[in-house]
Amino acid sequence: MAKTINLTIKIGNLTFKNPVTVASGTFGSKDEYAKYVDYAKLGAIVTKTVTRKPRKGNPMPRIFETPSGMLNAIGLQNKGIDDFIEYKIPYFKKVKTHLIVNIAGESVEDFVYLAKKLDPEKSVSALELNISCPNVKKGLEFCAKPELAYEVVKAVKEATKHPIFTKLSPEAHDFLGVADSTIRAGSDGLSLINTIRGMAVDIEKCKPQIANVFGGLSGPAIRPIALRYLHEVKRRFDIPVMAMGGIMTAQDALEFLITGAHLISVGTANFVNPKATMEILEGIETYMKRKGHQSIDSVRGTLKVKPDSESLLAPAG
Amino acid sequence: MFDETVTILENKKINSEYFRLVITSKRLSRDVSPGQFLNIQIENHQGLLLRRPFSYYRIKGNRIEILYAILGRGTALLADKRPGHLLKALGPLGRPFTQSLKGKRRVLVGGGVGVPPLVFLAERVQKESSTPLLLIGCKSKKEILPKRELAKVKTEVRYATDDGSYGKKGFVTVLLHELLKHENPKSIFIQTCGPTAMMDEVMKIAKEFGVEGEASVEERMACGVGACLGCVVETEEGFKTSCVEGPVFSFGELVHHG
Repeated sequence: MAKTINLTIKIGNLTFKNPVTVASGTFGSKDEYAKYVDYAKLGAIVTKTVTRKPRKGNPMPRIFETPSGMLNAIGLQNKGIDDFIEYKIPYFKKVKTHLIVNIAGESVEDFVYLAKKLDPEKSVSALELNISCPNVKKGLEFCAKPELAYEVVKAVKEATKHPIFTKLSPEAHDFLGVADSTIRAGSDGLSLINTIRGMAVDIEKCKPQIANVFGGLSGPAIRPIALRYLHEVKRRFDIPVMAMGGIMTAQDALEFLITGAHLISVGTANFVNPKATMEILEGIETYMKRKGHQSIDSVRGTLKVKPDSESLLAPAG
Repeated sequence: MFDETVTILENKKINSEYFRLVITSKRLSRDVSPGQFLNIQIENHQGLLLRRPFSYYRIKGNRIEILYAILGRGTALLADKRPGHLLKALGPLGRPFTQSLKGKRRVLVGGGVGVPPLVFLAERVQKESSTPLLLIGCKSKKEILPKRELAKVKTEVRYATDDGSYGKKGFVTVLLHELLKHENPKSIFIQTCGPTAMMDEVMKIAKEFGVEGEASVEERMACGVGACLGCVVETEEGFKTSCVEGPVFSFGELVHHG
C-alpha cells in the first residue's frame, strides 16, 4: 500500500493542510471561485485587499495583457471593512480552511484600525499587510523605508493576536532592509512578491493601455524575479515565506518550495484556469511520490547551491 | 458554468470581417441565453496568457457557433487554428439580454462583433408577435454579415454603412434616430451591442426620446468570474463587473459618458 503523503505545514500556531494558497486580489473576497474549486482543499484563502473605507478603485481600462503576464491597476476596489465583516467573513465560517485577510491603509492608524476590527473574528486565521500595492497613492510608502515598515508592523502586532504576513515589493530600494525590519517588528511571515510596476502604450491612440498609466505586472513574466527575492530572503533570514509571482503549474510551485517557501500562492493563473490551484496541488503530490518525499517539510529548501557560488550574488540591499 | 476542453469543428473566414468558429459541447450549449459568452483559452502556453471572451452566436443541439473578428493578438492566433485543434472554454457566463418585452417592439442595434449576439437574440424570440427590427452598422458592404446568415431569422434588417456602399450612408445611429422620430418611443425597447462609441450614441438618442433599452458592454476581461475586477463598468450603483453583473446592463444602470 502506498504511504500517505503529509502535506501539512506549521507556521507558528497555525497548521496548513497543504502549501497551496491563492494570492490576494486574484480570488475575489468570497465565493467567486466556489463553483470550480473546493475551498476546503486549499491550504489557505487570501482575500482581496480590504481598506478602512470603501474604495471605488481606478478608472478603466485597468488591465492589459503583456508577454507572459498582465498589467493591472484595479486600485484596491473594495466595499470597506464594515461590509467585509458583515457580508464576507460569515461565508468563511463554514469553509474548512484558513482565511488570511489582506489589509491596506494610508496610515499606521488605518492598519491598526483594521487589525483591531478583525481581531475578534474567529474565522480569520491571519492578516496579510499589503504595504506594497503599486496602484494607489501611498501604496508603496511603508515599503519604501525600513523604519516605516518597522513602525507599521510593530503597531499592528501590538493591536492583534492574529499572526501577520507582511507583503513586500521588489520595488523597495532597500528590500532586504525592509524585510529585516518587518521581521524585527514581529512579522510572523513574509509574502513575496507583490506586482512590479510596468507600462504599455496603445500606438494608435498614443495613450497608455492602463488609465492609471502604470500597472502592476504579474504572471510568469515576473516568476524569475520572485524566485530571486525568495532566495535572497531565505539565505539571510529564518522566516516562513508565502511565495507568489507567476506560479501557473506544479513545476513552478515546486521551484518556490525547493527554494524555501513554506506556502505558495497562485495568482494570475486563477484567471487563466479557474482550477489551477487543484491541478498544482495534485502535481506537487505526484512529484513527492516520484521523489520519495513523505512530507512537504522534506521538499522545502532542498535547493542545492554551491557555497562558493553564493559569493557571486550581489551584496545585500 | 463549466470549463471544458473542446475540439474545433470549423474555423473559417466568412467575409472580410468575420470568422466562424464552430465547437461542440453538450454542457456549454445547454441553458444558454443570448448575450451570454464563453471565456476561451486560445493557447495553453504562457506567451498568450489570458482567455478571451466571445459571445454565443448560434446553438444547434450541441453545436456552438461563434462569429469573431481579428482584433488583436489573441484573435489572430485563434484564426490560425484548424479543425481538430483544441480550445478550453468556460461558460456560459454573464447576464443575458431580456427576452420577454411585454408587447414592446424590439429594436436591435449592432456593429462589428456586436452583431452576432443580437442575431442569436432575434432567433430566440421568433415566437413573439412583433418582428424584431435589426439595425446593423459597418464600414462598407464588404463587412456586412452575409445574407444567408440571416436567411432563417424572422427579422427586419436595415443597414447603414460609413461609405454608403450598402443601405443608408452614415452611422447606424442615423437609422435609429429616423426610426424613433416616427414611432411611439414608449412602445419600443432597444438592445444594443457594438463599439463603445456606437453604444454611447445609441444611449444618448434613447435618452433624448425617452426609450428604454439594454447594452451589452465590452471591456478587457481576465477571469470571467467576477474576481479580478478588471472588466468593471461605471453604473449608478458604482463599478460593476461586466463578466458577472453584465455584460448586459439596462440603459438606466449605466453612467453615460457620451
